[in-house]
Amino acid sequence: MFERFTKGARDVVTGAVEQSERAGADSIDDGHLLLALLDREGTRASFALAALGADRRREDIVLALAEARRRGGLTQAETEALAGLGIDVEEIVSRVEQTHGAGALAGVGARRERKGIGAWIGHRGFTPGAKDILERALRIATARRDRSIGDEHILLALTTRPGVTAEVLADHGVTRLTVERVLYQG
Amino acid sequence: MTEATDLAERAGDRDPRVGLRAVTALRRLAEQLEAVQVRSARQQGWSWQEIAAELGVSRQAVHKKYGRQ
Repeated sequence: MFERFTKGARDVVTGAVEQSERAGADSIDDGHLLLALLDREGTRASFALAALGADRRREDIVLALAEARRRGGLTQAETEALAGLGIDVEEIVSRVEQTHGAGALAGVGARRERKGIGAWIGHRGFTPGAKDILERALRIATARRDRSIGDEHILLALTTRPGVTAEVLADHGVTRLTVERVLYQG
Repeated sequence: MTEATDLAERAGDRDPRVGLRAVTALRRLAEQLEAVQVRSARQQGWSWQEIAAELGVSRQAVHKKYGRQ
């Protein structure tokens, strides 16, 4: 499937590997894909993010992703749902960090994917979630009858997969609907 | 997003969506906590057998889940 990726989309994938390395993570997840996407310039995805004002809120987005990672990848909605049961996620996270060090819940338990994309990119594997994003990007491009997969399809994929990245993007005005509006209308 | 959450809250705890989301979140949180504890136990020299016994699962199950880390 990678032969159909544009240079921009390939740059996002290799950028995600760099983001993961920089963070000292042992795998590449959808958050790393989003961070790599935010670094792009002059691409369809960066145009969409700029049109939605998300480029100016880059630091906010990075911070929100880091916070969610610290919570073990729980979304804000999940954290609120647990609060409804009387479970204070922040309290649990800080107690675990007291015993096991800062960021103890970040990046644990994610299983590596060594086949397919993992083999393509090297020893550092993609999480099933990140792999799913790339597969969604392919499906979105195919459904639109676009011949190649660009970074805008990766952005659309990130808005459609339920979880932290889609939630953080939505909180900054970036949803499938708003991205499609700025990319394909007017 | 937050609007949807507010709506769900106003609908009260009888809204199955809220309850189901909480259960899913709790399961994920438990998985993360398990990973932290297993890693810690390994660092302190615990065998897979000892960890498995505490978790109430087979040694193979724990090793398969965390063995490559």
